[in-house]
Amino acid sequence: MSDETTFKGVSMIEAEATAEMLLMTGTFRSPETIDEPIEQTIVRAVLQGEHDRFGRLYEMYAPLVHGVLLARVPRDEVDDLLQDIFLHAMRKLHTLRNPTAFGPWIAMIARNRAMDFHRASRDMVEVEENTAVAKPTNRTAHEVLDFIRQLPEAYRETLVLRFVEGMTGPEIAVRTGLTPASVRVNLHRGMKLLRGKMGVV
Amino acid sequence: MNDNYLWDRTGEPDADVQQLEELLGTLRYQPRPLEIPATINTGRRRTFIPLAIAAAIALLVIGAGLWIRFANSNQRPLEQAIRGPQSVAPQETAPAPKELTANSSTSHEPREISPEGRNVKRSLISLKPHRPIQASVPPLTKEELAQKEQVLIALRLVSAKLNLVQRKSQGLTPVNSIRNHKIG
Repeated sequence: MSDETTFKGVSMIEAEATAEMLLMTGTFRSPETIDEPIEQTIVRAVLQGEHDRFGRLYEMYAPLVHGVLLARVPRDEVDDLLQDIFLHAMRKLHTLRNPTAFGPWIAMIARNRAMDFHRASRDMVEVEENTAVAKPTNRTAHEVLDFIRQLPEAYRETLVLRFVEGMTGPEIAVRTGLTPASVRVNLHRGMKLLRGKMGVV
Repeated sequence: MNDNYLWDRTGEPDADVQQLEELLGTLRYQPRPLEIPATINTGRRRTFIPLAIAAAIALLVIGAGLWIRFANSNQRPLEQAIRGPQSVAPQETAPAPKELTANSSTSHEPREISPEGRNVKRSLISLKPHRPIQASVPPLTKEELAQKEQVLIALRLVSAKLNLVQRKSQGLTPVNSIRNHKIG
């Protein structure tokens, strides 16, 4: 007789492996995690002292904050500001009333931080309005980004998130807390203005 | 322009949008680990519960102090009210005649003292001794009236003589004084 414990012809090792597989594929989830957004779980864990879990929120929302900052501040400042914003958010996490609204909350922190940056430095990047008109294929990414930065704030943020960060319209709506209709309008009007600025009809 | 492709990348791809995606995609966020300081504080105040307990104790102490003070201030008039009837008792032991006092049957009966301050004060007011009201003089007999008349005439004579002396001392003629003075 073998050393393995068996139950109805199935070894316990096999049963455990099957259970682990099912858990990994998400077929079975613990009741605590059902219908609870991941942000809520992570925020609660971080507030209870599990600081390492904040890294997951950082992974999820760093592209959003990056896009918000890139639409407003010089590119070489974005990375440092990004880190500062997440550390600030971690310190102030207890003030977040609705953990599921982490995205809109941190996006607002990023916008405020960008405004503070401009108030402090007073050296906004001004791009000349009458840049020579040419085909977008001949332009660099920085030049196109500068065109986007000349657009109204609502359009520029949405366009950066769409084209730079690669988010779709529905994703932008979920992450920023805006309504899908607003995002759709911002995308289309922003794109129209961008085409005009770049000389593409 | 294909609206759906710009919105959620479905449908026929738009050439300009695709070019912008490719061009601007080079500026996309490059994952970089977040450097979390070891001493970072998430801001959750663990001291909230002890502070709440301390505040509750402080409130209890203040409340108890106020209650004791109130109780003492209410007890003092009560004690006075209780002592009051004893201090005025000697006056009450010698009751005035019924015909000379007003409300004598009701005013001197001590009211029931209730623990409330307002009632205690009322009882204090009611316990104050009332002054006896002077009643009218009883009718006199004929002899008493005659004696009274004589006393009054004597008093008038004395008064006239005193006036005369006063006039003399002031240098006035006694005739005028007599003329001006009415007797009887």
